[in-house]
Amino acid sequence: MEKAIMAIAAGLAIGITALATALAQRAIGSAGVGAISEKPELIGSIIILVAIPETLVILGFAVAAIILMGG
Amino acid sequence: MILPMARIQIWGLKAHLERVIPLLHNFGNMQIDDVRRLPDSMVQPFTMPDAMQMEREQVDLLIASINGLIDLFSSFSKPGVETAVEKEDTIPAIKGKVAEITSQVQYLNNQKKFLQDELVSLSKYNDMLTVIAPLIPNSVKKSGNASIRALVHSSQMRAMNLLAQQLKLLTRGKFDMVSIKIGESTNAIVGIFPLELIEQVETFLKNEKVAQLILPEEYAYLSTDEALRHISKKVQINHLELDEIDKRLQRIADQWSPKLHVWQLICQDRVDEFEAYAKIGETEYTFTIFGWVPEERVEDLQKVLSQYFGQNVILSVIDVPAALKEKIPVATKNPGVIQPYEDFVKMRAIPRYSDVDPSHLVAIFMPIFFGMMVGDVGYGLLMLVIALLLGKKMAAGLIRNFFKALQAGAVWSIFFGILYGEYFGTLGEKWGIPALWFSRSDAGSFTTLLGMSLAVGVAHTLLGLLIGVWNAVVQKNRSHFLERGGMFIGIIGTCILVASLSQILPHGFLTLGWIIFAIGISALGLSLGKMGIIMGPIEFVGVIGNILSYLRLAALGLASVFLAKVANDLGGMVGSVGVGVLIALLIHALNLVMGMLSPTIQSLRLQYVEFFRKFYEGGQSPFTPFCKRIGNSDIQNSHT
Repeated sequence: MEKAIMAIAAGLAIGITALATALAQRAIGSAGVGAISEKPELIGSIIILVAIPETLVILGFAVAAIILMGG
Repeated sequence: MILPMARIQIWGLKAHLERVIPLLHNFGNMQIDDVRRLPDSMVQPFTMPDAMQMEREQVDLLIASINGLIDLFSSFSKPGVETAVEKEDTIPAIKGKVAEITSQVQYLNNQKKFLQDELVSLSKYNDMLTVIAPLIPNSVKKSGNASIRALVHSSQMRAMNLLAQQLKLLTRGKFDMVSIKIGESTNAIVGIFPLELIEQVETFLKNEKVAQLILPEEYAYLSTDEALRHISKKVQINHLELDEIDKRLQRIADQWSPKLHVWQLICQDRVDEFEAYAKIGETEYTFTIFGWVPEERVEDLQKVLSQYFGQNVILSVIDVPAALKEKIPVATKNPGVIQPYEDFVKMRAIPRYSDVDPSHLVAIFMPIFFGMMVGDVGYGLLMLVIALLLGKKMAAGLIRNFFKALQAGAVWSIFFGILYGEYFGTLGEKWGIPALWFSRSDAGSFTTLLGMSLAVGVAHTLLGLLIGVWNAVVQKNRSHFLERGGMFIGIIGTCILVASLSQILPHGFLTLGWIIFAIGISALGLSLGKMGIIMGPIEFVGVIGNILSYLRLAALGLASVFLAKVANDLGGMVGSVGVGVLIALLIHALNLVMGMLSPTIQSLRLQYVEFFRKFYEGGQSPFTPFCKRIGNSDIQNSHT
């Protein structure tokens, strides 16, 4: 039972953060495409802005890893 | 490497100006500053003489004509044929040739339009006559008979019937009319009568405002069948003539397209020279040009000017005023293997003149991170083959840079694949090839994988902060020195604390760790001013977040290896060998494509966000030399 709960917890940790990242990147990505179509030289800045929310899912991965390692 | 730049001033007698500008254009390594925007110019801007203004306008019109011809020929000519600049390619000669080509093309286009318009109307007549032809009674074909044809709205049929009765009376019973419904609301009518009454009938119909279907003159007196035959023949002839015109246009396009592209560049070079004139300064008898040249090329420029002008044109290296120190244009020079990474750096921002050029660092770390994430010998070999084959075919740009970076990343993937023992995922394990270091698919190695990622993060971040400290010393920026130095020391203190608490280091190091950590946080807080006591720790937490971001090296690697494991396991589960291999190949192919794209973006993101933010500011303007787009002009006899 304990292992099942840990598995669910790890899954939620990564799943919810992945969802949050996806929501953030959806907005940033669509705005970024519009910006790049007008000013192609912004591509570097847009890559950074789109990639920044990924820290959420990485931290979720770290939490999931800690939960699983703790078992 | 960022090239040291020299600020120069060229001045000389105005009589030589029209040869100096093409010489600088040929030299191609000087950026000309606009004298109107300089704080230290002390001269008035050059006023272009009327003759030059007129020439400028003519060249602009010439470029417009050439662009029009290129657009027209783009649908005809095959791309990619290159041709060289010839001695005869002067602006007056180009103007003459373009006028000749334009008149030929205009003539052919006018012919083409005429034939196309004719085809449109002939096909309309053809369609109507085809509908009407079955209506025509045989009596029309008798000699001595004529006919009229008309299309009327169904609502007008009653009126037409009344008109037909009147015409019968008029012609003493010799007028006959037949009609048929075509379409929803249109009727076709044919009236037959003796030829001698044609004038009477036509006058009557004209007075009654009946719109006849009148054929062109050459078909007007033919019977419907004959008219149909002639029209079909004429349509065929027109199509043949149109094909012939297209072939002639194709021949003209094949002959002149390569030259047009060369002429376009020559004219644009001339426009660039006119724009250069607008940037220079003048006095009554002299001109002066301010600009930037890489220090290593100053002597070459001096030699060239002496060779052509002796002491009549002088170059001197001048000081950079304080107002321009932040505006020194940045030129970089790196070996060819670093070039793709230089372009990746410039995608983020052009380095500042006093910054360290991070291109070499990106060239080292980006492929290593890529290799850590992919970490598979099989995928690495395939990526290397793909990158070598496709990289050569791509035109210079982002995609080509991607394939060049992929080559280095693939080599590191093979290296880490050997360390992880991964050959298309877990196939290496099945073949008995052990991991030299640890296997990522083994649950027991998870801690090692995470530890490796964090260690790489700490090392990379510390390197970035060290470079940041160096930049701060060079730029004499106290605030940045304290901020980056404080973060550096704080991370060292944190590492000692963690090592001490994990019993990697003896317990006695705990106090040392706290002291170093406190020094780091204090320095960081000091750099942030009055709010530093609150902002300092917050900023430091941000740095820890940056280090944790390197866990993506582990996350993406695990995703890759487990997808490969799924491919192998699924392939093995299916009863049939062929189907199993196919399933495995499909999933491996997907993993390969994701493995090429995702680790590239993620390793680039680690450079841009986690690494560059420690030291790289960028944002300066690039060095844009006044250089030719094509060929070199004859300085002695320029523009004659």
